[in-house]
Amino acid sequence: MKIVRLAFLNFKNSFKSYLSLVLSLAFTILVFFNFQNIIHSDAFAILGQRNKDYIDMLIQICLTVLLCFLFFFLWYATNVFLTRRKREIGIYIFMGMSNRKIGSLYLVEISFVGATALIMGIVFGALFAGLFQMIMGAVSDITVDVRFGISIKAIKMTSVSFLSMYLFFALKGFWNITHSSVLNMISAAKQNEYLHVKPVVLLLKAALGAIVLASGYYYANKGGRNDILTNALLAVVLVIIGVYLLFGGLIPLVFQMLAACKGFLYRGQRCLWVNQTIFRMRKNYRTYAMVCIMGICSVTALATGFAMRDRYDNMVAFNHQYTFQFISNQSNIEKTTQTLLDGKSPITYQSALCALSPDSEQLLSTYSDVRQMHLLLSYSDIQRIAQEAGVTFAFAEPADDEVYYLSHLVLLSFITNGEAEPVTIAGKTYRQTQRIMTPYLGYMQKELACFYIVSDREYERLKAQSGLYYICNYKLADDSVFGEARAAFDAIVSNTDENYTARVSIDPFSNEEEWIKAVYSLCIFMFLVFIVASGCIMFMKLYNDSFEETERYTVLKKLGFSTRTLSASIAHELVTAYLLPFVVMTVSAYFSVLALGKMMRADLFVIYVVSTVVVLIVFVLFCALSIVVYQRTLLSARAKQ
Amino acid sequence: MNDKKVVEIKNLIKRYGARDFQTTVLKGIDLTIYKGDFIAIMGPSGSGKTTLLNILSTIDKPTQGMVMLDGQDVTRISNKALANLRKDKIGFIFQDYNLLDTMTLQDNIALPLALDGAAPKDVLARTKTLAATFGLEEQLRQYPYQLSGGQKQRGAVCRALITKPEIIFADEPTGALDSKSGKDLLQCLRKVNESGQATILMVTHDPYCASYAKDVYLLSDGTIKCRINRGNDRKEFYNRIIDLQTSIGGDFA
Repeated sequence: MKIVRLAFLNFKNSFKSYLSLVLSLAFTILVFFNFQNIIHSDAFAILGQRNKDYIDMLIQICLTVLLCFLFFFLWYATNVFLTRRKREIGIYIFMGMSNRKIGSLYLVEISFVGATALIMGIVFGALFAGLFQMIMGAVSDITVDVRFGISIKAIKMTSVSFLSMYLFFALKGFWNITHSSVLNMISAAKQNEYLHVKPVVLLLKAALGAIVLASGYYYANKGGRNDILTNALLAVVLVIIGVYLLFGGLIPLVFQMLAACKGFLYRGQRCLWVNQTIFRMRKNYRTYAMVCIMGICSVTALATGFAMRDRYDNMVAFNHQYTFQFISNQSNIEKTTQTLLDGKSPITYQSALCALSPDSEQLLSTYSDVRQMHLLLSYSDIQRIAQEAGVTFAFAEPADDEVYYLSHLVLLSFITNGEAEPVTIAGKTYRQTQRIMTPYLGYMQKELACFYIVSDREYERLKAQSGLYYICNYKLADDSVFGEARAAFDAIVSNTDENYTARVSIDPFSNEEEWIKAVYSLCIFMFLVFIVASGCIMFMKLYNDSFEETERYTVLKKLGFSTRTLSASIAHELVTAYLLPFVVMTVSAYFSVLALGKMMRADLFVIYVVSTVVVLIVFVLFCALSIVVYQRTLLSARAKQ
Repeated sequence: MNDKKVVEIKNLIKRYGARDFQTTVLKGIDLTIYKGDFIAIMGPSGSGKTTLLNILSTIDKPTQGMVMLDGQDVTRISNKALANLRKDKIGFIFQDYNLLDTMTLQDNIALPLALDGAAPKDVLARTKTLAATFGLEEQLRQYPYQLSGGQKQRGAVCRALITKPEIIFADEPTGALDSKSGKDLLQCLRKVNESGQATILMVTHDPYCASYAKDVYLLSDGTIKCRINRGNDRKEFYNRIIDLQTSIGGDFA
């Protein structure tokens, strides 16, 4: 009982000095809780119906990132706590307390810290989720109902995940104290000052980090079919480990080399800030790595959000390229449909063409599926209907041994190896040299059949040995007649051997793809959480550091260095502190967005640049704030003389 | 003796406290330091030694009087000019070394000159020369925590000398050293003074330490009571300081 009381008094009296630690932990819990809350919210239930595999993969990746993050952060935070407390509680030894009792005191005290952080994290997390719900409702323009209720399961999951890891590190601290000597406890606060690490150790870490990171990038972008999920998970784990090794090895090594190069070091304030950076890097590399990983997550989340929004717009445009499309083995289909449409609505554009249907068993391709038709189109026909619909067509005519595959837009594809297998048609093998995503044949291109464009000469050659299918497409000016027109067209739909006539249409008012906007909003939410978390962690860390620097800057002021010189040195040091995670993040995020682009079959470079710039702006703001606060703490008139 | 006045103090008065409860710590000090001087200021606790040093090193401001440092009145110049003056004209040696633990001894020594914008080549050359003078070549790559007290203080002297200041203010430079290290340091200070590299003003309570100076001023109750000159024999000078200390009385610790 006495120990609990003493621990509580310690916690109460030192609360101010532990505030940054409590807040950092609370923020981590807030992030974790919000993510759990999203998983268990209705938004994901809606998405889950659409594509469970995709959702599972996203959850797996994000959970791995967050759990790794939580693990390393708790490791770091409890270490900081232990080092701080060791010296103080070491004094209890002189008061006759045993190591075991001191360990128990630490355990109770750290439990207070953990409990406070957990409560704060969940409470603020719940408030933040509600706030986000309001913001999202206002900005995302989603018609599907996305609810962000507070999930009890999310609270349970967050508490269990946090407490189990926290308890592990608390017990580790307890073990450490019970096995520490008095001298060790009293000198604990000084241990971190020994900052020079042997270059060989750094070199090994750097080499290992580079290999692990490169492997991570490789797996992220490795094309695959069924192993894409495994590759993505592997990439996430490797990149996390690689980033930690990079900040623990390569970056300190580079700075130590810079410090050894006196021609570089003895210019302006470099002598001061480069050495300070080495010192801080030794103490803070885990924080920098963590911020970097969160930065990668934020760029990837934002890029995914932008890409999803963009893909949503494109998919809607793709699906609604034509209002009605017909395919039939009856040559008069155009005339019949035209008659049925007469007077219902003006036509914005229309087109007609003839497709060849070679024997499906002869068509052996990656996409062969006996349930689907495989149709060949002539190059000139596609060029013509593109012109009629006002769609750009910038492809040269395929060679006689080439085909272009008319594909469609997908949200994500697990097949990312870009090699298209050759297609065998009527005994001749063709190379697939283009995969076209433009909706020349609209929704039909997505839903009905596999369409290949062949050269006009090949088309004419194959015409004799193929069945003919007549296609006609209409884009109506007045969408309101859709229902009436569809009912009229139902009469001509037939699926007999003599008469195969199919209608392909999509309700212009359908909200089939609306759920993608939810993904977009969730990505923006993830981006906000990650970027705010990384910025806050960095800011709090530097704010905390500024108090540790008081003595050092008092010496510098005593030595006569001007405030201007010291301000410039601080600015350099802090810009470096923010720049290093940003640079590593920029490189790593490039590969993660590249991988995303492969899965979306799109070039996301512009989106990557925009997302990176957004993160840069946020980092610049946090950096400016840190510099101002740091300078005020150390250089203001009120700072200790 | 060189006739160039490095420091000139006239009627220096320093008071602390509010109007009705003022304490006068310095009561009209007059002191002139010429280039090449090595002066020790001694006095019992509370005599005003540290206040005098703080005012001379521009950390504190006098209540009244004039303090000329290299021809500039430090009481009348702007803060920016004061910072420049401190940076260019003054070197500091503190009792607790005040080396930065984040950098090697070499970088600690080089720091003032590097920050002053000197060419890296010159900074490196001067650092090595000074380190050689003070027997620290082997320790240049080491961090302060790897050095002995004597090595740290010699490093601090090198740092104070690197910008070739007009004067060095040393505040109890041997206070944290053992007698052997203290003696080594004093010999180094005397060496740089005699070679014309430095004018030194040292505040100390230790008569042995003071005996390495050329002149000792005894400060008591805010005024300079007397000045004694070393002459040619340091041991005899030391005895005279002890006698004077005894005659004045007070706590010199």
